[in-house]
Order: sequence, then structure tokens, then C-alpha cells
Amino acid sequence: MTDDDIRLHLLRELIASGAAPSVGDTAAALGVSASDAAAAYDRLGANRVIVFRPGTRDVLMAAPLSAVPTPHVARMADGRSHYGNCVWDALGVIAMLGRDGDVDTVCTDCDAPLTLAVRGGALAPTDAVVHFAVPAARWWENIVFT
Amino acid sequence: MLVFRSEEHVNRWCEMRGLDRGAVFTPEQLWALAKPWHGKRLDRGWKRFTPAEAEGVFAGAGLTGPFWHL
Repeated sequence: MTDDDIRLHLLRELIASGAAPSVGDTAAALGVSASDAAAAYDRLGANRVIVFRPGTRDVLMAAPLSAVPTPHVARMADGRSHYGNCVWDALGVIAMLGRDGDVDTVCTDCDAPLTLAVRGGALAPTDAVVHFAVPAARWWENIVFT
Repeated sequence: MLVFRSEEHVNRWCEMRGLDRGAVFTPEQLWALAKPWHGKRLDRGWKRFTPAEAEGVFAGAGLTGPFWHL
């Protein structure tokens, strides 16, 4: 078992069910000890591949997927939906799955619904704009805010 | 990272919160980031970009300058 096996298991489970598996569930699914799985979770967290709820090993983010509902939903052409951590990540879900899809989100200022549509690998024209408040070098100071 | 209906909404939101305006760009540029950033996450052996690689991805989407330095 490698850390990459754990990472891929987390992503595949999030895609399949929307829920991130616990350390125990992952250990059982991959046939490894809970302590080995926990150590892998910790390394993935330390390497910023996944993000935990503070003080736990409960996975909050396994980019581009969110383990909790967010306002940024990737709705795939096959009818399935997945939560992204932000609009970048929701678009990333579509890129990762390699299919057409829409990102449904809202204007941060006025809550008006916004849809970003990806068709045939291209983003459909839109009047929306993207704003990064935090410079790239400081994103990980508070990744949830970023 | 936030999305707005227009730049007018970005400016209003920043003013109401006393925040400096950061980087504003197009969803097309965000899509140009999303594809290389996340597109291969399901590949075995995927690795996070190094800072230099990440800056290359930013530049590939037309995002350059101090705001995008790592």
C-alpha cells in the first residue's frame, strides 16, 4: 500500500458516494492496518494533498472534491453531481472526470445563480468574473478561506 | 477564490468589507488553470506541482506578476 493508493481510494470513494471514508474504512477496503492507513492520511495531510477537519483525521477536502456540501456543484452530463471546494475545484472535477458538465454556483456579492458550462472541453462564454483576494504565496495560510 | 456576476459586483463586495481588490480574471482563465491543476488527479503517481511548475501553470493561463509568485 502506498500513499497514492490511499489518495486514489479517497477520490474514488468521494466520486462514488460523496463521502470521504474514515481511516478504518480505508484500512478495511485496502487490506492494511488502521495504523498504516492513519499514517498515510497524516502524510497526505502534511503534504497538502488532503485537508482534515481541525483536530481530526476526518477528510474535509481531497482536491478537487469536497467531502461536505458547498455552493460549488459540478453537475455532470451523466446526471451525477459532486461538490468542489471552490469554483476552481468544481471546474477541476469536470476536468478530472473528462466529461461535459456545468458548475452551478452563486455570485459572492448578490447570491444570483451562476452557471459555468463546459462542453467539448471548452468553457462556454460567460459574463462572470473570478476574484482571488489572497496572493498565491499565502493560499495555504488559510486554505478554507482561500 | 470567489466568482461574481461582474467586476462591479467584485468592487462592491470588496468595498463593503474594506478589502483590497485582489486579482480579477475570467472564468476562461480559471478553466485554463483547472485543467492542468486537477485534470490528472485520478492518474496513479500524480504529484503536486512544484512552485516553479505551479507558476508555469499560472503563466499558461495568462496570470503573471507578483500576485502569482510562490
